[in-house]
Parts: sequence; C-alpha cells; structure tokens
Amino acid sequence: MNQPRRNGPGLSRRQLFRYSGLGVAAVAGGNLLTACGGDDGGGGAGGPQSSGGILIHGATGGGSKDTLDPHAPVTNPDIARVSNLYEPLLFWNNNYELEPALAESVESSSDGKTWTVKMRPDVTFHNGKTVTAEDAWFSIQRVADPKAPLSAGGQLSQILDFESSKVVDETTLELALKVPYAILDGLLAEYTLGIIPTDFDIANPVGTGAFTYKSFDPGKTSTFTKYADYWGDPAFVDELQIQDFSDDSAKVNALQAGQIQTVDNLPYNLIETIEGAGGGALVSETGAWVPFTMRVDVAPFSDVRVRQAMRLIVDRQQMIDQTLSGYGSLGNDMYAPFDAAYASDLPQREQDIDQARSLLADAGQEGLQVELFTGDDIGSVAPAAANLFVEQAKEAGVEVKVTKKTPFYDDDYLSYPFAQDFWNTRNYIPQAVVGTFPPEQGGTYNETHWDNEEHRNLVNQAAQELDETKRAELLHDAQEIEYNEGGLIIWGFRQQVDGYAANVQGLEPSKYLPLGSYKFNKVSV
Amino acid sequence: MTEAATLLTDPLEEVAPPRGRHGAAAWAVWIARRLGLAVLTLWLVSILVFVATAALGDPVRAILGRDYASNPGRVAELEAQLNSDASLVTRYVDWLGDLLTGSLGTSLASGLPVSDLISSSVVNSAVLVFLAAVVMIPLAFAVAMISVHYRRRRPDTVIQTILLAMAGLPEFVIGVLLLALFATTVFQVFPAVTISSPTGHPWDNPEAMVLPTLTLVLWVTPYVSRIIRASLLEVIDSEYVELARLKGIPEKVVMRKHALLNAIVPGIQVIALQLAFLAGGIVVVETLFSYPGVGLQLVDAVRNHDVPVVQALSMIIAGVYVVVNLVADLLSILLTPRARTAISS
Repeated sequence: MNQPRRNGPGLSRRQLFRYSGLGVAAVAGGNLLTACGGDDGGGGAGGPQSSGGILIHGATGGGSKDTLDPHAPVTNPDIARVSNLYEPLLFWNNNYELEPALAESVESSSDGKTWTVKMRPDVTFHNGKTVTAEDAWFSIQRVADPKAPLSAGGQLSQILDFESSKVVDETTLELALKVPYAILDGLLAEYTLGIIPTDFDIANPVGTGAFTYKSFDPGKTSTFTKYADYWGDPAFVDELQIQDFSDDSAKVNALQAGQIQTVDNLPYNLIETIEGAGGGALVSETGAWVPFTMRVDVAPFSDVRVRQAMRLIVDRQQMIDQTLSGYGSLGNDMYAPFDAAYASDLPQREQDIDQARSLLADAGQEGLQVELFTGDDIGSVAPAAANLFVEQAKEAGVEVKVTKKTPFYDDDYLSYPFAQDFWNTRNYIPQAVVGTFPPEQGGTYNETHWDNEEHRNLVNQAAQELDETKRAELLHDAQEIEYNEGGLIIWGFRQQVDGYAANVQGLEPSKYLPLGSYKFNKVSV
Repeated sequence: MTEAATLLTDPLEEVAPPRGRHGAAAWAVWIARRLGLAVLTLWLVSILVFVATAALGDPVRAILGRDYASNPGRVAELEAQLNSDASLVTRYVDWLGDLLTGSLGTSLASGLPVSDLISSSVVNSAVLVFLAAVVMIPLAFAVAMISVHYRRRRPDTVIQTILLAMAGLPEFVIGVLLLALFATTVFQVFPAVTISSPTGHPWDNPEAMVLPTLTLVLWVTPYVSRIIRASLLEVIDSEYVELARLKGIPEKVVMRKHALLNAIVPGIQVIALQLAFLAGGIVVVETLFSYPGVGLQLVDAVRNHDVPVVQALSMIIAGVYVVVNLVADLLSILLTPRARTAISS
C-alpha cells in the first residue's frame, strides 16, 4: 500500500510521445494538471527532440559557498547540480507523488516499524560500480548521523534504529525504526538524499544521475557530461553547464542573447521580456507560502475570535494579484496543498469585513492596534504583503503598524506576536511537526507557539497509520482544528516561474522543484 | 579653464620645496613624505573598513538566518572563527597584524583562505580596467585634439555637447543601453554576459570582454577628454605658444611639442583619478555583465555576510586607489620641469 506507483512496462509515457513525434507541448497539454493550461509546457517548436549539443542553465544565486555535496545543497545552483549528479531511492515526480528511482520498491511491514528497500539491480555509478544496498545504507547513515544530521536527516536520525537496520543482500536493505512511521518513503525521496558509493570522495563526486561530473568552480560555473550508461531516459544533450547568476537582469540578458538556454526563478516582471524575445515561461504550481503568524499564547491573539477576525480581513485574491503579480493560487489558512489528505472540503475563507468587525467587537477589541514584524530576509513577497495587509485591515478598523526588522531572523524570531515567515512545499505531517509542535518535540520553527495536544495526537497517530484512508481521516481532523483555531494566515501559494529559450524542448512544470525538478536529461536544445 | 579642471588638486601645491636640501636627498624626502601619507591614508581606511563591517551587526546571526536558533554548534564554530567574544579593539589589532603579515584570513562562507578565493577575481578586474585604460587614454586625447582643432566651431560644439550629455550618464545606464543595442534587443552581435569557462579566464572568449570594456570606456572618456581639451586650450592661448607661432613654427609642431606635452600632466592626473575610480566603481559593471571580478565577488561576500572577504576586498580597492594616485603624482612631478626643479634645486 505504500509502494510507490510504478511506470508501466515497455515504453514510458515520455518515450511514447517522443517517438511518436507529437512533441512535448502535447504531453504538457494532455496530461499535466496545471492551472495554466498546456501552453506553458516545454519549448517552442514541436516535433521530436534531437540529441547533442550543450545545455547551459543560468542558476539564480549561489556563490563562494557552493557545494557538490549530495546531502548539503543550499542554493538553487546547488540543488540543480545535485539533482543531475545524484539520485535518491525514490523520486517525487512532477505531480509531487512518489515514484521508484534507484529502489524498485520501498515497502513497510504491517506495523510500520520495518521497511524493506528493494534496489534496482542494473544501476551503475559513474565509475562503473553497480549500486548495492550497501551503498544505500551508507548514504542514509551519512545523512542521518544522529550527532550531525544533514538537511534531509533531521527526522530520519530520530526514528532510525541504527543497530537493527541491516543490509540483507546485494539488493535488499532493511530499515528498522524505533517508532512506527508511515511516510518513511517520502523522506527517502528528497533530493538531499542522493545515493553515493561507500568510497565516496567529494573531490571526485560520483553518483548515478544522467550526468557525470566534469568540473566545478564555486560561485561561477560547473560542467557535467552525459552519462552513457544511465539506467533511465538518457540525456539528449552531450554536456550540461550550470552557471551562477547573482543578478536577475544579467540572467535574463544572457537568455535573450542566446548564451544560456534555461533560467530558474524568472522574476514576474520579466516574463513578458522573455516571451517577447521568442522564449517561454514555464509556470508550475507549488506549495510554497508566506504566512502571517499570530502567537496564540499572547494577547490579543490568544483570543480565537481575534485570530478569526484577522483571517477574515485578508483579501486573498488581492494579495496574490499584487504581491505575486497574479502568479499564485488561493490559500485557506492550511498548508500542504498537495498532500493527498489536504482538507479541500473545508469552505474557502474569504474577506468578510462585517463579520471581522463583529468578532472583534465580541472580543472587546474594537479599534485594535497591532504591530506587524516583517523583513527583507523573509523574501521580497513579505514586505509587500505586510503593507497591503495594512490597507486591508483599515477597512475593519484595525490599525496595523509595520516594523521592518533587519535582520528579521535574529533573537526575536519566534517571539514576535505578529509577523511573517516563509515555507516551501511539504506534505502535512512533516510540516505540522516542524511548525506546530512544541520545540522539544521537533517544532523547531513554531512561530505561533501553537501547542494543542488533540491536534498533536492526531498528527502522531497519522504518522504511524499505514492505511491511507484512515490516515487521511486523522489528518483531516487535525487540519480542521487548525482551520478553526490556528494562528497562521495562509493567503496563497506562489507559482514557480522559470524561463527558457526558443529552441528548448522537454521541460514540464513540476510541483516539486523548478524547471521540471531540474531533470535536464529530458531537455533538448 | 573649465569648471572641471579647477576641481583637480594641483600636485604642485603639495611639493613645496624643502629648503636647503639638494638633489637625491630632496627627492628621497619628498618620496618618503608621499609614502608616509599613503600609509596613513590606508591605516585610516583600515579603521573605517573594520568599524563599518563590525557595525553591520552580528555577522553570525546574519549568516545563519533562520537556523541561528536551531544550530548552536554552527553558531559556536562561527563565533570562534570570528573571535567575536574579544573586544573590538583587540579584534582590530589582530586583524591589522594579520593584514600586515600578508594574511587575509579565512572566508566564512567557503572555509578557504581569502587570498586563494579572491586572487583570480583581482586579476580579472585588473585586466578589465587595464583594457579600458588602453582604449580610453588614446581615445580621450584624440577626441580632445579634434575638438581643439575645430575649437569654437560647429564640430567642437557637437563633440562637447555629446560629451557633456554622456558625462551625465551613470555606468549602469550606459551598460543597459549597450546591452539592448548589441546583445539582446536590437542586434545580437556580442554576448550579454561572461560565461566563465571552468578552468580558463574571461578573456578566453574575447567577444565577452567587449561590452564591459566599452561601458567603462564610455563612462570615463567624456570627463577625461573634456579636461584634456581645457588644458590644451589654456596652453594654446598662452603667450609662449603665441610666441612660437609668431616665430613661424608650423601649427602641427606647436601642437605636438608645446601644447600636447603641457597638457599631459593634468591629463595624467585626471586619468589616474578615473582609473582609481574604476577600481571601486567597477562593481556595477561586473554585476551587470556577470563578469567574475572583485565587484561580483564583493556583492557575493556582502550577500553571504562573509566579513573577512568584504574586509580584504575593501582594503585592496582602497590600496589600488592610493597607489594609483601616488604614481600619478610622481609622474606629474617628473613630467613638469618646474616642479622637478623645485624639488631638487
């Protein structure tokens, strides 16, 4: 039941389209459930994709602390690099669902405490060595080292039973857990958990990805060559080059001048420039959000009526239109919109000034004055949203004073009564743990100081529940509690916009990472 | 004289001749004084740089952002590296001591020695400024001489109007216009950015050097050219040139032997100022063209709150400024007979 969806035998859907010459636009239009329809998938020209050439990707950000460490990528260029060099046991596919990758299957015992990983038998590392269960176990231990867990290892290091886990044979790994955990497969699918050989050396990084390492100059450029023996769809291009850009206009100029073929994180205001030059913008839904955070343990937000009033004050569509240039989808004060258990049946909250006023009157908070903390280091959306909220709150007679903190993430972070924060796409359980549990139970970033035992029990039960239907029910109840009482105002989810040149084909929108999750083996130029 | 020329400090004022000394000794004193001044300037700059970077707030907090609260191990590591428990004065003295012994410290972001990290950027920027100077100097003189040749006639007016208009444009406007014209929108003849090759230098692909160089050239040439023109005019109108003319010396020779030679000194001064200016002002151009030099590195270091790198780059840029000015003063003295005599007689 927790086995990831498999591709059908024979030709994959991608191959079918590629060989039938229908082009990628058809794939995008026919199969992908994007809000923006089919015209944003992949490159300009139709027809079959051709092999050869060099793809230069312009990556946003990066700098002298760039890394090729498979388990510690930080910036966009880092993520693009590790996504092409290394691969995890499972993939999050473009629809944010699990798919087999280096593992053929990852299955749980009926009590959720023992997980069996079956490795794909015919996968080789770039140095020719066959990938074994031993390598997978080595990689997981490196990430989940309890003394110094790496970015994907926080949760893993807490639940893995290192003594009892074992390599059964060449292709079988048995992971034992201290407590039942129903969504272990999701943790194994993170791009930060690429499988590396037991003799891994960062100076000569070897993985299983569609591209092999050639050169790396931190902050500047890195090059990779097509891996001839790749187990999946082989790359179209012979070489992949990833170039760092610290400046948005330099990145877009380079794309217009034909020096680079793809860019991630195209600024919304430059979309038309790229389209005018014959290129395209790839628009993808994401689960990334910039909430307003109200501390539920201090006045005035300790009164649930005040929290509800604040949520009713927000004009969500206006927030999306003005701070995201329209590139977003409505939020309903709940996170993890791609989780199968997302409570989409709860009524969409809309601006209701009258009700907000009457809730505030009931709470004795007419003429409420609050201070809203924001900062540039949350991201450019945050200050814009904060200033817009000031205007919207005025209608309900609430006076909001915006205080910009530099840096925002200082000693006061997590103690602001009313502030903002940023989050990326995650499923419900991991997000709830890190954002709504008390710090000592894993709630590292609990901005709202939410501490609700009923909610916590539901989440913990769900984390151990292997039956998806039952799990969804538990999570639905948990979400309903947050929807009714929580301290987060989640007004929308940002869309990811990336740019590509006219000759680029094969890009598909992805809910997981930019540019079709950086799967550059699918891209031709 | 134009308003621009009067802005320049006259190097001759600073070299009041030391009475009673002669020849080599007088020169040594003069050079020692200038060197002393340069060192004093750099020392003051070092205090400024250190205090400014310290005033930015707790760098550890800035580096770790949201992870500050959840990662005490890394906090302790960075604090040890920055020695942030010590007093500001102690830290300054330590830093200055390292600086004087040639140690630029360790980058917080990459963990590499700062000198390794920035050496290629420094070379890349130096090459870019050098190229700009090589194009700019003859160009500025040529434009000035054409202008003087047609002085107060239509071509001169046209040239001066264009120069004046261009002198008012900031470098990023020039760069953006050049990009639109030659790289992205109108024609696509030159690359818009430097795509660095992993092992080589930016100039491995000379085409990519054209637009950054041109931007710098167009940015400083108008100013330099106008000052040279003003000096030339002043000399031409002087009595001794008049006398030379009356003696029947051909106009070309007058121009070459008298006017140009005398205009070179103020020319050197303004060129030096502009080159020093380029060393600091190159940041914008490098960012615009993604050129891997000190400017881009400085932006990166500031963004990463990589304090040791910011400090090292600031000191290097200040050092270039001081040295270029020193060399310009020296050249001015050597090329001005009156000043030469003043010092050594």
